[in-house]
Amino acid sequence: MSDDHEHDDGVHHERPASPIELRARALEALLVEKGFVSTDAIDAVIELYENDVGPQNGAKVVARAWVDPAYRERLLADGAAAIAELGYGGDEASTLVVVPNGPGVHNAVVCTLCSCYPWPVLGLPPSWYKSAPYRARMVSEPCAVLREFGLELPADTTIRIWDSSAEVRYLVLPERPAGTEGWDEKALAAIVTRDVMIGVALPAAERKSA
Amino acid sequence: VSAATLAKVDVALGTDAPLPRANGELVFEEVWQGRALGLGVVLLERTGASWSEFRDHLVAAIAAHVAAPGESAATAYYTAWLDAVEALLRRRNVSI
Repeated sequence: MSDDHEHDDGVHHERPASPIELRARALEALLVEKGFVSTDAIDAVIELYENDVGPQNGAKVVARAWVDPAYRERLLADGAAAIAELGYGGDEASTLVVVPNGPGVHNAVVCTLCSCYPWPVLGLPPSWYKSAPYRARMVSEPCAVLREFGLELPADTTIRIWDSSAEVRYLVLPERPAGTEGWDEKALAAIVTRDVMIGVALPAAERKSA
Repeated sequence: VSAATLAKVDVALGTDAPLPRANGELVFEEVWQGRALGLGVVLLERTGASWSEFRDHLVAAIAAHVAAPGESAATAYYTAWLDAVEALLRRRNVSI
């Protein structure tokens, strides 16, 4: 960020730069001077990280499916095409299958072999997703595992466990919680966490400040 | 650099030196931390340096880092990140 830009915005912070901040700036300036990097390229990477990777993509997909029944249908028919409509994708090698929760039906995702994960919509998998106990126990005793995540489902709930692979990745579409009537997509997306889309949590109708 | 590159970076860093995140989203407390990350990604992609070599430098830098009192995890991580970038450059005889 250049000082000119800050002045243009009328926001100039008086706080002096910390030593580490100065060091980071000096290293960047040096590498720009040597031609190894460009400021524009770094800006582009930061923008990618801020906008294009992480569970907020998946959360927007879920929120759209909640408010737009036609989108929901397209999402369930062809997950990859439907997320591409919102500008997400980049994992052409695998199919994205969206599995909807419904009355008495709960879905959860695991990768028993390694750590296959729908990263275009969820970003990086959490470390527990790759752990051997989760991978093994989610298949053999899903109720117990879900309970450990704090998710108590009614005893008669059908639990479907989806095993990801290099070819097929899964995303859980939770039911829209009661009490969210009239919420806009942004407010809805804010309650859809990564864990909700893996299927180890349910969204709660508690408004989050966006 | 595309979203696929960023996924590759995550895979390369693995669980040894994962980027600081909360609920799967990256944690940047200050602007310089995001720029440090961007700097490393662009440098490695442009020069074709190996991410596994960078990860080794980063793991070593994290282990060697002495946290200042009250220092946050993200500050510690991205300080080590800068150390790792410099270590990589020194290995390639780039004067810094």
